[in-house]
Amino acid sequence: MAEAQAVTPQVFTRRASGLVRVMSPYSAFIYNILTMGVIFPWTYLWAPTAFQGSNLVLGIGFAFLFELPIALAYTWLATALPRSGGDYVFQSRVFGGGFGFTVVFAFFVVWILQWVALSGWLLAALGIAPTFLGLGVTTNIHAFTTIGTWAATSNGIIIISLANAIVAAILLVSGFRNYVRFQYVMWYAILLSFGIVVILFLTTNPAAFHTKINSFAGAIDGVKNFFGQAKAAAAAGGVNFHPPFFLFGTLMVAPIAWTSLQWATYSVEQGGEIKNAHVFRNQLFIIVGSLAATAGLLILLALAMNHGIGGDGIRVASSGYWYLNGKALIGGGYMFPNLIAMGLTASPIIVALIGIGFILNSFQIVCNCYIGCTRIMVAQGLDGLLPDWFARVHPKWKTPANAHLAYFLAAVPVIFAFNKIGDWSTKWALGVTFANGAVMTLSALAAALLPYRAKKLYEASPGAKYRFGATPMVTIFGTLGFLFGAFMVGAFLFVKDLGLAYTASAFPYVIVVGTAVFGLIVYFIMKQVRASKGIKVEYAFAEIPPE
Amino acid sequence: MPLFGKKGTAKAVPTRLFYACDIHGSEPTYRKFLNAAKFYEVDALVFGGDLMGKLLIPMVRDTGNTWRARLAGQNHHITSDEEMKQFKKVLQTLGFYWQEMDPEEYRQYEGDQERIDDLFDVLAKERLAGWVALAEERLAGTPVKIYLCGGNDDTDEVLSALDEVAEDRVVNCENKVVPIDDEHVLATVGYSTPTPWVTPRERTEEQIGAVIEKLMVDVPDPSRCVFNFHCPPLDSSLDTCLKLDASVWPPTPLIENGQAIYYGAGSQAVTDSLKKYQPTVGLHGHIHESRGAIRFGRTSAYNPGSEYGEGVLRGLIVGIRGGEVVGHQFTSG
Repeated sequence: MAEAQAVTPQVFTRRASGLVRVMSPYSAFIYNILTMGVIFPWTYLWAPTAFQGSNLVLGIGFAFLFELPIALAYTWLATALPRSGGDYVFQSRVFGGGFGFTVVFAFFVVWILQWVALSGWLLAALGIAPTFLGLGVTTNIHAFTTIGTWAATSNGIIIISLANAIVAAILLVSGFRNYVRFQYVMWYAILLSFGIVVILFLTTNPAAFHTKINSFAGAIDGVKNFFGQAKAAAAAGGVNFHPPFFLFGTLMVAPIAWTSLQWATYSVEQGGEIKNAHVFRNQLFIIVGSLAATAGLLILLALAMNHGIGGDGIRVASSGYWYLNGKALIGGGYMFPNLIAMGLTASPIIVALIGIGFILNSFQIVCNCYIGCTRIMVAQGLDGLLPDWFARVHPKWKTPANAHLAYFLAAVPVIFAFNKIGDWSTKWALGVTFANGAVMTLSALAAALLPYRAKKLYEASPGAKYRFGATPMVTIFGTLGFLFGAFMVGAFLFVKDLGLAYTASAFPYVIVVGTAVFGLIVYFIMKQVRASKGIKVEYAFAEIPPE
Repeated sequence: MPLFGKKGTAKAVPTRLFYACDIHGSEPTYRKFLNAAKFYEVDALVFGGDLMGKLLIPMVRDTGNTWRARLAGQNHHITSDEEMKQFKKVLQTLGFYWQEMDPEEYRQYEGDQERIDDLFDVLAKERLAGWVALAEERLAGTPVKIYLCGGNDDTDEVLSALDEVAEDRVVNCENKVVPIDDEHVLATVGYSTPTPWVTPRERTEEQIGAVIEKLMVDVPDPSRCVFNFHCPPLDSSLDTCLKLDASVWPPTPLIENGQAIYYGAGSQAVTDSLKKYQPTVGLHGHIHESRGAIRFGRTSAYNPGSEYGEGVLRGLIVGIRGGEVVGHQFTSG
């Protein structure tokens, strides 16, 4: 049979049409990294004084390890069900439509409206304000400083947030390919910007930082010895500048860093648009690869900041955010890493390059709020759980224009409330950390149960061949992911410095439960409406036995 | 029990149809389609075309009782009966055909597309004949009928298997007008407009329009006609897909300013007929990724999409009564 061994058979094909998808795995990888937001400042502003003695690098490392099994579980789900609507599809298939709809509608679609407001705040306070303040200092043009200061006011944030939401909606309604094209601009801009920030931190030292930040803040606010005053105020407010290592606090950094890293799975919401989304290694690259890359970048920034501004610099910056230390604000805004980096350079070009990256990444955040949630709404509309109007795709633009319009209109009051209601961010907005995390944790559980609750579907998936003994790998990763996710979601619920427990009031819990009840009410109303027309919405999710 | 009936009304019970299409040879998906009648409690199963699979996997005999094959970019060496059983099960789910052959026989096929196409026809016709027999067996003793037709990807040779059915439970509705209940008829057209893939049953807009007009002569009341047209209406959102470069094989996405281009790949003739005749409902397929619904005047048109490769049966339950749709539900079973 020597002749037989020489044959490597190829597949025979015929002339038949095929399905082609638009988003490459590389684009989806970029999308996830941008969504995770290496620009998010909370790990560096929140953790150092909320959990004094915590180690940022270790904390981000814990977040990566906790998210890893969740990301792996999603890899199995994404290859088994490569469809738009991701989490909703996964949970509906495994737990049933009522559960999947309620959880994803309430905790994603409703709560991500906070992210639309938050992304506007990011664009104003983290992107535009620092950029113009930095340009004002480096060019000595006062108008720039005035714009930067205005951008950090509540009116400035509201106007910028609304403009942000309108431009994003128009871009996305005009065609998804327009977004994908622009995403490359955003990607290279943030890479350049982030790289410059890291280099600026790595090429300075704490002593030089004190001098430069004093000069920078002095030019903006006219204050003398800014850093000394800010540090003294922080110490007086309770910040310990020589804290012993705090292991529990380091563990508590993980949920904060997880508010970034949890979005490694967000590409599943448009799984139906990713090329070869059913191929295992593609999803590994998209989800796990983007997670590892982003965790690496966050750790790199933490190391670079520690080198450049030292622990004292990080604690002073954090005191402005967490201890409301007014002396640690520059131009009325927090000492974000990018603002500090701008204070380390005298070049307006460097300031502009840093600023453009942060501005574009902030804009991308609102885009992905729309992209993910409108896809979910379309999937829910097609399943009969939202009115058909939401599911309509515009014939000319080929985009879910109605869902985009609805989401924009729903975001407008949230943007106003976020910036005009005093304690909104502590009573309402913190619920988003719990709600979004809960969706992902429950999807990890769905992954664990996939081989048992959707047996045929699982057996037809490429991940079915991976087992540990008799146990499917997805069950192992899904269970671990669920446990780690539950730990972090639990922390958001019960640890005072992390989320809902912050105000020591039942009100935030009532809001979270209220949104879930709202989702359930919408489900039962739609179920009744459909039933009045003779429709059983359960049919949308039930798997027919082939035998 | 009339699921679509309203309490206290004396209206007639609606007819419930289950529609699916584009299963491309997938065995578990077809079996689900048959079981959908009982599962969804419907009165008729309507298939919208594209029955044939797209790939044929040659299994070439190797040393001993082992076989070599290639699937999804990977070489497989099958060394036991159990492995062979599992491998064939995967192929059935994916809708692929297979043929065991010696190396010499394999070499005769290599590069000879006409010979490969003939083998496709033989295997696909064999599978379709088996499916027809299975339908007769599964639906025997029930009032449910199954209406089968081809799509643009199916060859006339393979579809000839439908001409040989006994027509007890299985109805060959290809290019025909057939009754679907006491008050509605089903008009079926399986052609599509030209595609970059140059598939077996493509027609020009004029030809599709002419086929539709010819069928409509036999329709007594267009408002009580269900259109089962494989090709969706042009630029309707039921037909959105990537624009492809047909000058290369396989066709690849056309790139403009670094990005792929979406367009409508449906039929203007289908659009015109929906607007002109205002049928009860339009049932369409062809573009797997373009699941959705749209209205043309009083007429709703649907494309349930397709995910046959994952063993998932995407479909649509639609209730009709008196020439109107009384309810619809997309399914993903």
